[in-house]
Amino acid sequence: MKTMSQAMLIMTMQTAKKTGLALCPKCQKVNVLKAQPQQCTRCHGKFYQRKYNSLQYTLAWNIAALLAFIPANLYPIMIVYQLGIPKEATILSGIGEFIDHGLYPIAVIIFAASIIVPLIKIIGLFVLTYRTYTGIRLKPNKHSRVYHILEFLGPWSMLDVFVVALMVTIVELGFVTSVAAGPAINYFTLTVIFTMFSANSFDPRLLWDKRSETNIDKKV
Amino acid sequence: MDKPLNTKLLIACRQCDALYDKPLLKQGQSAKCTRCGSILAERKVNSIERSFNWSLAGVLLMLPAILLPIMGVTLAGQFHQASLFDCILVLIDRGFFMIASLVFLFAIAVPVVRLVGALYLTYHFKFKKLKPSLLNFFRAYHHLDNWAMLNVFMLGIVVSMYKLLDDTELSVNLGLLSFILWLISSTMASSTLDQDYIWDKLEQNFPNENHVASDVDNDHANS
Repeated sequence: MKTMSQAMLIMTMQTAKKTGLALCPKCQKVNVLKAQPQQCTRCHGKFYQRKYNSLQYTLAWNIAALLAFIPANLYPIMIVYQLGIPKEATILSGIGEFIDHGLYPIAVIIFAASIIVPLIKIIGLFVLTYRTYTGIRLKPNKHSRVYHILEFLGPWSMLDVFVVALMVTIVELGFVTSVAAGPAINYFTLTVIFTMFSANSFDPRLLWDKRSETNIDKKV
Repeated sequence: MDKPLNTKLLIACRQCDALYDKPLLKQGQSAKCTRCGSILAERKVNSIERSFNWSLAGVLLMLPAILLPIMGVTLAGQFHQASLFDCILVLIDRGFFMIASLVFLFAIAVPVVRLVGALYLTYHFKFKKLKPSLLNFFRAYHHLDNWAMLNVFMLGIVVSMYKLLDDTELSVNLGLLSFILWLISSTMASSTLDQDYIWDKLEQNFPNENHVASDVDNDHANS
C-alpha cells in the first residue's frame, strides 16, 4: 500500500524539468529555461538544468580516486625517526600499532576515517552512477539518502592527513625523535579530494528523473 | 499551461526537482519536500543580526587561533610547541608542499575567507548599504560551501593529542581554546546565515529588468 502511494506520488509530482523550468544551483531561484547554459535572473550565474555531464564526471573522478587509493595504502604514510633510525608505517600498519598499544578508540576512528569512509564513498558512488544509468532496482528515496550520507562523509577522511601534519610539526625534537610524512600522504589527499569532486558532480535529481522515465515506460 | 508562470511564486526542491508554490514562512519555520524529505526553504530567526555577531566574533578569534601555540610536548627534556601557522611553516620547511598547501587551504584560507565574507555581507545588510556587487560576491561565497574543514582539523588535534599522551608529556595552550571558539563561531556564522532571505533581498533591490521582462514575454508565448 505504501509503495503504491509512493509510486503514485512520484508519477503525479510536477517537476521543474517537466514544466520547462530550472533551478539555479547557487541561489535556488526557479528560472524559465531558455538556453543551456541559462543565465540566472537573480544571481546572474550560468547554470545547466542538471549538473553538466553529471554521471560521466562522477565516474571519471571516482576512477581517479580508486587509482590514487592503491598507492595510498601501499606506500608508508608516516616515518618515525627515533635516534636516527627510521620506522615506516603505512595506514594499515599504523592502525595495527594502535591496537598493539591498546589505543582502541583511536584505532577505530582512524580506521573508519581513512579506510572505511573512502572505500564506502568510492563503492557507493559507483553503485549510484550504475543504478542511475541503467535504472535497475532504483529507489530514489533510499538512494538520495545514501547520497547525502556520502556527501556528508567526504571531508572527514582528511583526518589522517591532518593528524600526520600535526605530528610532523609537533614531534620535532631533532635527533631524538622526529616524524616525517611518507609519499602515501599525497596519494591519500588526492583520493579524498577526488571523491569530494566526484560526490559534488553527482546530481541526485537524476535519480528521480530516471525513476519517472522508467515508470512512464512501464505504463505505456 | 493555462496561466503564465510566475517564477517568483515557485520553488523547486534542490534534491529531487519537485515543483511547489512558494510557501510563506515565518521566522524559524522551514518547509520540507514531500517527495524526498529534504529542506526546501527556511526562514532563520534574526539571521542577519546573529550571523553578523558570530562572524565578528570569528574574525576577532581568527588571529589568536592561528598564531597562538595549540599544544606543546616535552620529551627527553626538550620542550617544543606549535601553532597552526607554525604547522604550515614547518611542513614547507621540510619539503611537504602538498600537505602544507592543503592544510593552509582547508584549515586557514577557506574558513578565513568564509568568515570575512559573511561579515562583509551581513555588515552591508545590517547597515542597509546594499550594492550590486554583493550579488557576485554572494554567488562566489557559495563555491566554498564544502571546503571548510575546521571540524575535521579539530578531530585531528584530538587524535594526535591522544596519540602523544602515550609517551610524551603534553601541555595544552591558549591556542587550543581559541581554536575551539573559532571553530564554534565560524560554524554558527555560516549556519545562521539565511541564504534565501539574502537572495530575496538582493533580488528586490537589484532586479535584472531586461531578464524579467523577457521571462514574462516568453511565458505568454509558451502558453
